[in-house]
Amino acid sequence: MNKHSSGLVEIRGLQKSFGTLQVLKGIDLSVGRKEVVCIIGKSGSGKSTLLRCINGLEVFQSGELLVDGVPVKSSDPNAMRALRQKVGMVFQSFNLFPAMSVGNNIMLAPKLVKNMSPGDAKLLAEKLLTRVGLTEKFDSFPHELSGGQQQRVAIARALAMNPEVILCDEITSALDPELVGEVLQVIEALAREGVTLIIVTHEMNFARKVCDRVVFMHQGLVHEVGTAEDIFTSPKTPELRNFISVNHGQRELV
Amino acid sequence: MKVLDFSDVITAWPLFISGFFMTCFLTLASCLLGTLLGTLCAWVRLQGPSLLKLIVAAYVELFRNTPFIIQIFFIFFGLASAGFKMGAIVASLVALTLNLGAYACEIVRAGIQATPKGQVEAAQSLALNRWQIFTRVMVAPGLARVWPALVSQLVIMMLATSVCSQISAEEISYSANFVAGKTFRSFESFMVVTACYLVIAIFFRKLLLWVGPRFIFGRMKF
Amino acid sequence: MSSFSTWDVIRNLLLSLPWTLFLSAIAFLGGIVLGLVLLILRIMRPNSLGRLITWYVQLFQGTPLLMQLFLTYFGLALLGFNPSPLLAATLCLSFYASAFLTETWHGCVMSIPKGQWEASSSLALNLREQLRYVIFPQALRISVPPTVGLLVQIIKNTSLASVIGFIELTRTGQIITNVTYDPFFVYGTVALMYFALCFPFSMWGRTLERKFDVGH
Ligand SMILES: Nc1ncnc2c1ncn2[C@@H]1O[C@H](COP(=O)(O)OP(=O)(O)OP(=O)(O)O)[C@@H](O)[C@H]1O
Ligand SMILES: [Mg+2]
Repeated sequence: MNKHSSGLVEIRGLQKSFGTLQVLKGIDLSVGRKEVVCIIGKSGSGKSTLLRCINGLEVFQSGELLVDGVPVKSSDPNAMRALRQKVGMVFQSFNLFPAMSVGNNIMLAPKLVKNMSPGDAKLLAEKLLTRVGLTEKFDSFPHELSGGQQQRVAIARALAMNPEVILCDEITSALDPELVGEVLQVIEALAREGVTLIIVTHEMNFARKVCDRVVFMHQGLVHEVGTAEDIFTSPKTPELRNFISVNHGQRELV
Repeated sequence: MKVLDFSDVITAWPLFISGFFMTCFLTLASCLLGTLLGTLCAWVRLQGPSLLKLIVAAYVELFRNTPFIIQIFFIFFGLASAGFKMGAIVASLVALTLNLGAYACEIVRAGIQATPKGQVEAAQSLALNRWQIFTRVMVAPGLARVWPALVSQLVIMMLATSVCSQISAEEISYSANFVAGKTFRSFESFMVVTACYLVIAIFFRKLLLWVGPRFIFGRMKF
Repeated sequence: MSSFSTWDVIRNLLLSLPWTLFLSAIAFLGGIVLGLVLLILRIMRPNSLGRLITWYVQLFQGTPLLMQLFLTYFGLALLGFNPSPLLAATLCLSFYASAFLTETWHGCVMSIPKGQWEASSSLALNLREQLRYVIFPQALRISVPPTVGLLVQIIKNTSLASVIGFIELTRTGQIITNVTYDPFFVYGTVALMYFALCFPFSMWGRTLERKFDVGH
């Protein structure tokens, strides 16, 4: 198992402030190809901010961030366009485009950015919808779907760009409990198929089950890193121990 | 002759000053009266007797769908010919008040309609009567809710006072017209007055947004 | 009184109505085109040009249209053009409309949730594609009712073109009044004509608003 040989995402000394508030205080993290990394940590510890730096939604002040060996440069539109084809993102609030059908949501970026022909794009969208279990919903509109279905469409939409890595920011937090399972199953399947994933989550059982590595963030720093087994059964720092005891067994997997 | 020459226009400053005060007077008086009228009409449209409701609805639609200049001509010239003679200032005040009342009615009504049901029920359970509930529980918070929209309307009203010059009410646009005619420096004269309006508008808006939360509907957060 | 019969008054007023409609249409169309250009510039260059456009909007929203009309009329003369009321009125009202339209639409664009921008950014769309495929289609929907509302304002405001001598409905009313000395009837009729013009649009705008409210 030589999964982590080449760092697909390399983060070194990453610092990010909002005004005077320093949110990331020097993050070091390397994520290899086909690796599944979960980020856990208290609210406000900077998990979302870190994730959003990786695809350039946030501009960081200092440090280094490389994706596939290319440094992230948010000032260069062409570089950003290239970066975002490699990095997909799934949001907590789905963010499907309400004026477009499910099919068009998925086909939009491949057609515009990858210049895919409408025929190919349609085939791709149908294939991806089948993959997330929504074959029938091609012509539906987002508001006609349940939250869980919308989130699965959002995953298919991210997959349509054939990204190297997909970022997931608490993608089940806005869902009713009974809908969480269907979304996590899709992510689990992706993990098995070897898609590189960086997942911010509060679902501890899920993290334990699918992640190769778990990153515990605390006050803007990577506080502890290890395999899921290490992190959950033998936490080394008191902060992590405290975090785990507070969050333990909160929401069971369906 | 220079292309732009403000000297003659500046010399006429006393005229502009008196016009400025008249503009302020017209604005403040019609804002107070118009908002009051609008709030009363809002009450009628929400809780009033049905015949009155119909009359108010007709008034609101009529004034919102006709130009202000026609309203003021009708009130000043038209009513005079029908036996109701008014001076230019009074006619201006009547026209401005009626115009603002129609717009304020709709704005205030929207604010009042957004009152949460629980608020009214709580007041009812405290044995407040209908009028008390309306003024204390619905109007003040309702005004607070729509204050920015109302402020915009009041600024529009302030700008509309310029139309009163067309019936010879001696406010600042009238001064501009007068000076333009006397000095043949029309552009300069109107430019000076337009700048005055811009300053008044910015200041008036700031003032209203500041005054509202402090003195009109108390310190409430929405 | 004079040789003007009631029918003469109404006929002359009706004959001037096309000028009011013409001026409204030009101002509205001109406003839409210019407003759209300003909107796009404001979104593409929020700091440099955007600041300028905000001032432009403030200038038109913070001064009376009456003054704007005078300034355009005499300004054209100053620039050496023969100041025709038609040219001054159409120019001024188009600029005026563009300021209000661009501000309203900008508000609509800004009210689109941040997530829509972020999701489309994440899909590698550039600003032009984001606007064209994601943001504008949504903003368009919510902008229809306020745009209809502005159309009503513009129709009413064409009446002010009378003060620089553009002979439309209001000016015709004034001229007739000078002959018939019956302002009550003439201005009453003029008011009703404006009402007949504006009220349907007002109703339509309100219907649309209600429909969109229920829709989402
Ligand atoms: N756009 C912003 N402007 C200012 N401060 C921000 C912004 N976004 C985030 N922050 C601040 O940065 C800190 C970290 O936020 P972040 O969203 O990264 O935390 P998180 O770990 O994702 O928390 P949660 O679990 O609640 O999502 C917080 O204190 C937050 O208030
Ligand atoms: Mg977060």
